[in-house]
Formats: sequence, structure tokens, C-alpha cells
Amino acid sequence: MNVICRQAVSLTQAARSFSTTSCLHELRKLSRVRVVDNSSIGRAAAVAGKPGRVIHVYNKQEVATLGDKVLLAIKGQKKRAYVVGVKQRQKAGVPRFDTNNVVLIEDNGAPVGTRITVPIPSILRSKEGDFTKILSLATKFV
Amino acid sequence: MATVSAVTLRNALCQLQCRLTGVPQHAFGYVGLVSNYCQVRTKKQTKAQYKLEPDWFVNRKNRRQGKALTGDNEDFVQEVIGDTYRNQDSMLKEDPWPRQEYHRNTRRTGVVAIKLGVVPQWTKEGHKFFTTLLQVIDNHVIRYTPPEEFEKTSGWKPWWGQRFGSVVVGAMSSDPRNFSKAYNNLFTEAGVPPKKKLTRFLVTPDAAIQPGTPLTAMHFRAGDHVDVQAKTIDYGFQGVVKRWGMKGMPASHGVTKAHRKMGSTGGGGDKSGIWKGKKMPGHMGDKWRILKGLKIWRINTKYNVLYVQGPNIPGNTHGVVRIYDTILRYKRPAPDNHPPMPTWAEEDSQQGVELEYFDENLHVMSEASVSYSQ
Amino acid sequence: MALLAHVARGCSRIPKLQLEAALSVRFQSTLSHNDTKARRARELRPRRNYLLNDEVEQHRKSLLQQSPEVEEIPVQQAEANVPRDFRHVMPEFLPDPNPLYRDRVTEKLERMDMYRRRTCIDIPEFYVGSIMAVTMADHHAPGKQSRFVGICIQRSGTGLRADFTLRNVIDGQGVEVRFDMYGASLQKIEVLKLEQRLDDELFYLRDAAQEYSTIPFDFEPVPLPKGATVPVNSTKVKLNPRPWLERWERHELKGVEDLNLPEKKYRRARQVAKPWERWDLMKRQRESINEDEEESIMKETYMETESTRRARGRQKASLKKTR
Repeated sequence: MNVICRQAVSLTQAARSFSTTSCLHELRKLSRVRVVDNSSIGRAAAVAGKPGRVIHVYNKQEVATLGDKVLLAIKGQKKRAYVVGVKQRQKAGVPRFDTNNVVLIEDNGAPVGTRITVPIPSILRSKEGDFTKILSLATKFV
Repeated sequence: MATVSAVTLRNALCQLQCRLTGVPQHAFGYVGLVSNYCQVRTKKQTKAQYKLEPDWFVNRKNRRQGKALTGDNEDFVQEVIGDTYRNQDSMLKEDPWPRQEYHRNTRRTGVVAIKLGVVPQWTKEGHKFFTTLLQVIDNHVIRYTPPEEFEKTSGWKPWWGQRFGSVVVGAMSSDPRNFSKAYNNLFTEAGVPPKKKLTRFLVTPDAAIQPGTPLTAMHFRAGDHVDVQAKTIDYGFQGVVKRWGMKGMPASHGVTKAHRKMGSTGGGGDKSGIWKGKKMPGHMGDKWRILKGLKIWRINTKYNVLYVQGPNIPGNTHGVVRIYDTILRYKRPAPDNHPPMPTWAEEDSQQGVELEYFDENLHVMSEASVSYSQ
Repeated sequence: MALLAHVARGCSRIPKLQLEAALSVRFQSTLSHNDTKARRARELRPRRNYLLNDEVEQHRKSLLQQSPEVEEIPVQQAEANVPRDFRHVMPEFLPDPNPLYRDRVTEKLERMDMYRRRTCIDIPEFYVGSIMAVTMADHHAPGKQSRFVGICIQRSGTGLRADFTLRNVIDGQGVEVRFDMYGASLQKIEVLKLEQRLDDELFYLRDAAQEYSTIPFDFEPVPLPKGATVPVNSTKVKLNPRPWLERWERHELKGVEDLNLPEKKYRRARQVAKPWERWDLMKRQRESINEDEEESIMKETYMETESTRRARGRQKASLKKTR
């Protein structure tokens, strides 16, 4: 599985001769995300220049929004993560971020990292999902 | 072309025949054509195109051309017209009809309004939503027909028996010179100028209204739920991509002259042929559509404007809409808390009419901002 | 002729027969009661399931109605000494110019709501480029309120739909929040630094270095001297190297340093440019509303907002625009 993932990444990067700019900024399958906790795997992926990729979105629309759970392919591993910030246009009063941010979690729901370095939208508290541990890691809310 | 005219002729003959003999039209159905029976998936999408006018129909168009007048004479004629209608006798000069109690099965009349536009409003929780503004301009009751007579005049036997009579409501008084004499005579009973728009509502006899009664936005209350019926936007003859949202065909890869066509029209074998209800190009829009159970959030009595829930009332700006109490079971007015019967009268507002009425969950703009308690 | 004079004076009733005779006389230079603009438009487009704007207006004010709408007295010029560029101060009071959505009563009611909202919350004068702080009711924030500070990068929408967007960089993360200007949960709008930029929209800050949009949350308000004009901040922003969110060379930006692109990019930008639109009078007509109408709306707005401001006991801010 690891090998396949790595191959897929390198193939797409090599074959990219078209524009990847998307006007809607939707967070879909195969889009890159930024890991915003201090987990070693997220940092290593960012340093290597190959940030994690969404390979599945756990909702019916297949477009992830704030508070959705996604499956990432990152450093040759499959990791689950919660989306805690999106680029897509939001309702009035809901923050929109410059990057698509995620926080990695283990299969049992516990976060991988111990600290979150960027602000988190406070509207996450009203979303369904088990965020209590993630929200306790956050230092700032907007 | 020849087939079309043959069909037309046959339809017309069939209608004429049933009209003369009084036997329903389906009795003359296309008996000879049912040999290739096909299953009907959906009901027919198109409107009936051949229609005979009912007995009560009057032609409203004035055949006489408008006389050319100088400005002064025009003013004078308008003054005469105004005086005529101001001094006309109407049924309202008689004693008013007694007002009856609201019952569980009562169905009141509705009003005719104009769609003005869409504006956002906020709830007391700070949640934003859209409302459509509907203005009730110059509505009057033109005629009331009790169920016994309505059963006879309607031209067929109503399936609801004698439950409902009819109320004809007119909106927007006009210059009588624009209409034919027969049309103008429809309004003598009510004693109002001829109306631009006429419509008919089915009402129960306990909600009968005296002709000549004005209807305003106060016919409803803020917080009530209504059904809104209107004609959708008229798009004219459209292809399948716009009318039914079909995908068309690719822009390249050998496709010629078929980029916005529908693909296949059906299969072969037993299911061969084009089935009835197949989605095809044709006239799009300009159909009556009903939205049910919309809440009235706010009423402005100065301009007679209703703020109705939702941005999606059918039709263009300044389209004509029919508004009446909703028929949905759990949103209908209850007997212990019902709107004025049969319509609002000045005696209902003892303290005088306020400029605006708000639903209790609506954030009023002149009040302080929404804040959440700690 | 005597009869006609009688008719023209309209002073007394005349017998019906004589009236009909008088009506049947045709004049050479005449008006017809149904030869109107609306009628001619109707003939041009017969299929129509809605009314035209002037038809509706006619029925609203028709004397045949039981209670016709009373014509409102326009505000006198002497009373309202409206500053010249007031429409840039409160652009959201001008309606959407699309004729499909125009309606006098809707616009009037919408503006009345906006005036009422402005009596409850102070919505100050601000421009794209100003540094602002917005306090909003928030269920989930501690104290049930949240405050956001940022630079205004966009102002859009008309009427009650008007909104603005603030941008800031917090802990190295760019954050933007859009606020409804007349939203019910807004508690307070502060302008910390009133200034303008060279462009109408500052979306290019997303492609620029972070320090251009980093504003500390404890930013001290910078008061403008009394009677001073609104200053224009003419800093030129240096964009990051490509890729960008948009092709900025095609946008005629004034507040951006030289983009240092290959000549090919500029050539393509010149090809797709539409320089003739600057002289397209019809386009300008379509995208703006009638001048008289604009003037009357601005007069009304000025009177209403000025009285609110006076009631608050505030100093009158200088409204002159120095672009």
C-alpha cells in the first residue's frame, strides 16, 4: 500500500502540465492539506515537500467542510484527520483560512499531536463529531 | 404538417361532439389508436392546447380604439370616471353580512398580490434568512356564489359536492375605457372600477364575503402560514439542456452539430418507441406552481406588504401571485387562534392599526443587537 | 368650439350626449390615454406574465383606488447639503441597477430598515484598506462574544445584503471573515485606522508576504485630525513569486509593485484586455442608476444618518474623498 501511494504521488507530480487552480477551493479527494498540529509525521511531510493528500472524505458529498473527518495519505501511511479550517467561501461570521488545515487523529480518536499552532474556528463546537480532545489542544479561537 | 392538422381537426371535432351531446370527452377517446398500448411513466407535461371558452367567459378587450384627446379633456374624462365610481351604489351600502364563527373546516378567501423582491431578515437567534415581499394592491371582492349555484354554473359537476362556493377577487382598478362593456358590467354588483386581474377562490359558505369588500394585507396575521400560487418565469421554447438539465454531448471528439442535443430517446424490443412523458425540447416555464406552508414574518400596513418566507416564490419581479391560508394540516389556523373572519374589518383593531406587525421570532431592526446570555 | 372650451375647463357637468360628441372629435396634436410607453413595450413583447414597472406605479397611485399611495414630498435642496462624494461613504444605499430587480417600494422599505438598524448600532464610515475591529455575538466564544481585527479587503452587496471582509494573519495563518453589515448579531464596529488604498479590492494580499496583512489584535486606534480628509495609503505591495490565485497582471492593479513577469504574460494580458469598456456609455448606463434618483436617495440617506449621528453627539467626520 505504501509503495502504491508513493508511486501515485510521484506520478501526478511529474505529469502536472495543467493548472490546478480551483476557483471554488473545494477540499476534495487528492487535494493537499496542511497538518497544523505538532505531530512528527505532519512536520516530516511538510519538510519533505509532500504534504498529506485526502484520499477519502467521510461524508456523502465527497467535499470536506469544517468538522468533517477525512482519510489522508501522508508519508506512506494512511491516517485519519479532522478538518479544522478550509479555503472555501464561508457564511457570514465564519472564518475562511488561506490553507486547508487538518489535525491528525489515531484510529481510536485521540489526536496524534499535543499542540495546535494556528487559530481554530469556534464554530467547530457546534458541529457533530468528537472534537473535545482537539479543541483542548487549541490555543486560539477565531 | 398534414398529420398535425388532422390531429387538430380531430380534437376540435371531438370537443364539439362532446359539447353538443354533453357526454364526457373520454367517451369519444381514440379507440382506434389504442392498439399499440404503451405504459405511461409520468403524467403529461404539456398543457392542453385546444380549449373551448366556458359559458361565463366574457371578452375583456375593448375593440374600440382609444379616442385621442387633448390633455385638458383627458383630465376631465378621468375626473368624470372617478366621480362615477365614487358615487356608485354597491352592495356595501346595504347592511353588512353577519360574521360567522371559524370552524375547523373553514376555508377563507385569499388575496391577489404582486411580487416585489427578495430581502434578507434575521431571527431573534441571529440567523439570517430570505423573505419575499408581496404587495396587495387594491383588492376587492367582486362576486360571491353560494355552493348550490356554483355547482350549476361551473360547467361540470364538482367532485367536492356542495362544500365550496366561490369568491371572485379583483386586483388593481383600471380605466374602464380599456375594457369591453361586457367586462365592465361584471363589476356593477360590487360597485368598484373594473379590475386588471381577476381570480377565483373556493370558500366554505361560513366564509362568504359581501361583494365590494376591500381586502388588505391585514387579511392575514404575522406568524400565519400561507400557500402561494404563481406562474413561473416564461423561458419560451427551450432545448433539453436548459429545460431538463440534460448534459448534451462533448464539445469535441468527433461530435458534430449535436453538442446540446439529447442522446437516445429510448430502447428497442418490447420497450421500443418514444414513451409518453419523454423529456424533450419545448415550451419552458409560464406554469402555475404552488408553494405550501410559507410563514408570514412581517406585515407592513402602509404599503400593504407581506414578508413571506423564502426567496423562491415563482415568477419575475412584479409577477402576480395568489395567496391563501395554507391547506397543510399542522400549519392551518386553529379554531382557537384564527385570522379574522371572513376578512379583516376596522372593528377588529380597536387600538388602531399599527404601521408594522412582526412575528415573535423576528429580529426587529429598531431593537438592540442579538446577544447570548452567559 | 364653445362646447370644447367647456370641456377643457371641466368646470361643470355637461349632458352625456354632448360629452360623447365632444369625445369623438379628433385633434391633430393629441394625447391618447393608452398611448403610453408601457403600451408600446407591450406591443413589442406580447408574451409576458408579469407587470412592467410603470404599470405597477400607475396602479399604486391611481385615483380609482380606495386608498392611493400618497406622493412623498422630496427633501428640499436647502435642507440637505449633501457632501459631493457621499455615495462613496455609504455605497450600499444605492440599489442594484439591474432592471429585473428594481422596485421603488422594496428599495424604500429596505432603506427604512437600514436607517433603523443604524440607530441601534454605529456603522462608521470606512473604506477598503481601513483597519477595523468587529465584535460579534458568538455562542461558543468565552463571554459569548468574539472580536476580530483586520484590514478591510472587500465591500460588496447593496441594501440589507451589504457585507465586508476583514483579513488578518494570526500565528502565521491567514484568516478572513465576512460580516453582514446589517446582521443582527453584530455588537460593535470600530474603525481603528481610517484610510484608503489605491485599489477597490485587496484580494492580492493573499498572494503577498504576510506582513502586509498582519495586524495585532491590540492595535491602538489612530484618530484622524479634526476636519482632515481621508488619507490614501499609497504603499505598493510586493507579491510572492507565482503560482498565484489569479492572474494579477490582467487586473490593472495600482497598489502592486512591478510583477516581473515574462513579456509573454503581458502580451496575453493586452490581448484579453477590453480597453473600449471605459468608453462604453451603454455599459456605464446599465451598471449605474439614474442620476436624479441617486441624488434623491443620497439626500434622504444623508438626512437620516445625519440626524442619527447628531443624536449620538458625535463630531461630523470629514467626508471629502481625495482619490
